[in-house]
Amino acid sequence: MSGKRIRLLIWKEFLQLRRDPMLIRLLMLMPVLQLILFGYVVAVDIRNLSTAVVDLDHSATSQKLEAAFTGSGYFRIVSHPASENELRPLLDRGTVTVAIVIPEGTEDRLITGQTAPVGIVVDGSDSQISAVGSGYASQIIAGFNAELRDAAGVSLSPPGVDARIRVMFNPTMDPVNTMIPGLIAVIMMISLMAILSQAVVKERESGTLEQMFVTPIKAEEYLIGKVTPYAVLATAQMLVVAVVGMLWFRVPFSGNVWVVLTGLALFMLTNIGMGLFVSLVSRTRQQAQQAMAFLMIPTMILSGFIFPIESMPDLIQPFTKLIPMTWALIVLRNSFVKGSDFAALTVPLVVLAGFAVVIFTAAVVATRRRISD
Amino acid sequence: MRASLDRIAAIVIKEFRHLGRDPRALLAVVITPVIQLLLFAYAISFDVDHVPTIVVDLDRTTQSRDYLRLYEGSTFFTVVSEADTMDAVDQAFDLNQAHLAIVIEAGFGRQLASGGTGQVAVLVDGSEPTSARISQAYTVAANQLYNQQLTRQWAQAQGLDLSSLGGLEPRVRTWYNPERRSSDFLIPGLMVVIIAIVTVQQTAVTLVRERDLGTEEQLDVSPLRKVELMVAKLLPWTAIAFLDVAVIICLGQWLFDVPLRGDIGALAVGSALFVFAALGLGLLVSAIAPTTDTANILALLIAFLPSFLLSGLAFALDQIPVVLQWLSYAFPARYMVTISRVVFLKGGGFAEVWPELLALAGYATVMILVSSALHGRRARR
Repeated sequence: MSGKRIRLLIWKEFLQLRRDPMLIRLLMLMPVLQLILFGYVVAVDIRNLSTAVVDLDHSATSQKLEAAFTGSGYFRIVSHPASENELRPLLDRGTVTVAIVIPEGTEDRLITGQTAPVGIVVDGSDSQISAVGSGYASQIIAGFNAELRDAAGVSLSPPGVDARIRVMFNPTMDPVNTMIPGLIAVIMMISLMAILSQAVVKERESGTLEQMFVTPIKAEEYLIGKVTPYAVLATAQMLVVAVVGMLWFRVPFSGNVWVVLTGLALFMLTNIGMGLFVSLVSRTRQQAQQAMAFLMIPTMILSGFIFPIESMPDLIQPFTKLIPMTWALIVLRNSFVKGSDFAALTVPLVVLAGFAVVIFTAAVVATRRRISD
Repeated sequence: MRASLDRIAAIVIKEFRHLGRDPRALLAVVITPVIQLLLFAYAISFDVDHVPTIVVDLDRTTQSRDYLRLYEGSTFFTVVSEADTMDAVDQAFDLNQAHLAIVIEAGFGRQLASGGTGQVAVLVDGSEPTSARISQAYTVAANQLYNQQLTRQWAQAQGLDLSSLGGLEPRVRTWYNPERRSSDFLIPGLMVVIIAIVTVQQTAVTLVRERDLGTEEQLDVSPLRKVELMVAKLLPWTAIAFLDVAVIICLGQWLFDVPLRGDIGALAVGSALFVFAALGLGLLVSAIAPTTDTANILALLIAFLPSFLLSGLAFALDQIPVVLQWLSYAFPARYMVTISRVVFLKGGGFAEVWPELLALAGYATVMILVSSALHGRRARR
């Protein structure tokens, strides 16, 4: 190992990076953009659904019901069609996503103590809206019924269960609080994989790789020299996300900084190893790029970053464990949100270390083979 | 004209040869979308069920066991363990073994038997907000149901008739996707995102790569004109994109039974316009990016993230901040996801989606004109 050779190589990589100032700017802009997009889009709370009300009853009750919908904050009434037939085009065009139909005679039925049906139509082409919209609507109607009973002076005191629900760790259930810690890992993966997967194959395509290997450089020196600049860049990006995310979105941190840093360092090694490996085994840059997309997309989907792992089919769940990101997310989220310490996170940290060792070894072996070719 | 077509054909053949020489890349272009579709379609779901639940029964009476059956019998919850202490709950939460804990206080059964209110504590792990919200809603609903049951039993025992109490009854109907299957909702959108990623990134990088390798100068001295080069470069990717569209539509129909209710003609025109718009976007990237690395990152930024997050694929667009809603109009995926859903699920045709078709056509034209202008300027430099 020669420190001088490594230093020279690092210097060379930095010079190459500097030749493309747009790349550096993009790499610094990327985390901020991702932060904003993920922070605001993924963490959105469904409210103000565009709603049509078909009031065929024209009574005090129907007005009260409409007011209950408006007052809830979940529905924004944008249209009052005169008949049910006029609903179809509104939903077809997507002008409204929910419709409430109050049939004629609703008030009369209530007065005579009968059950009165209320139609709720939801646009099922958006599964989130249909689930949330119908849930909210049923809740509002249940509340309305309770008020009716109270107003009628019906006071019953049957036995009941009082379930006090307490949300632990993230009492406001604010998705941003788990999204931002996760984003630190995601951004690290995307930028390291995107650039490193191209690093070696680029030299190969332009023929400078062969030049490199006729010099006395060793595989380890080459790897360290190649990787260091990108590791520095990734660390800078990560800090940007952590600081901006915590300040802008007010994400609290209740854990141990060393746990987070250990987890991130291990995860970084995993990604560097993966990027290098892809770059070493690919013959063209296009191949490297496809391989990277091939690895990155499943990682985003299966790691639990956006979609909860529990809601995946049983068949898929074991595969999520084979993804390093899954474990990195556990370390980061538990540290941020639950304040877990080393003891609680031993398993994920050990698994991450295992991934790092295996993948990095594979990258070193691939480099050695390349040199001896 | 004839000579021009010959020149274009020559480059197209050259590009296909390039691809042919690299069967792994070719395979990846066709296989990747298929694997992505399978992955997305199976794994993505907002339907939370089998929430891992830990129960602590400090009462151990007939009543408490009866109450717990509520959770054991439901598919929304899966009771993973029973514990005697709160320490065990803490541990299970820490290790992600449970996301919900039901704690029945001592005296629960006695309270209920005497007509009083039994106390239950429900702890929800809020560190995964999506499932936390849904589990909370399930818990509330389950308890309401249980209380109704208790009330009915009590009324019967008291000889009261509760059916004389009127009330509103919600009757929910779901249009377009009555079973609310996630795959029906996701696959039409997924098709768009998968194609956006393949086309934008590949076109962006193919053109920049020529520059990196210096073969662009070689082409400049040939009688080939810039426009001819671009058309020739794009044709193979257009063909591949169309192949991907066809494969995904067929898979969606065969494997996932996604209905195709509307006008397939409108879908085809939409797909073609969308492919051109995406190619135009790729061209733009290749015109502004100085190196392949930059093109790569830029394509990732404008193809992957916006098509995934700002297209309406998984996240409702009318719910996000207005500024981001405006931003979403800058990416073609948004228009195509709408077209795809209207045609697939709502049974629409040209009459319903013409504004989106027009927008895509305009988008493609502008993108291709702007990027050829930029490429032209660059060539003269």
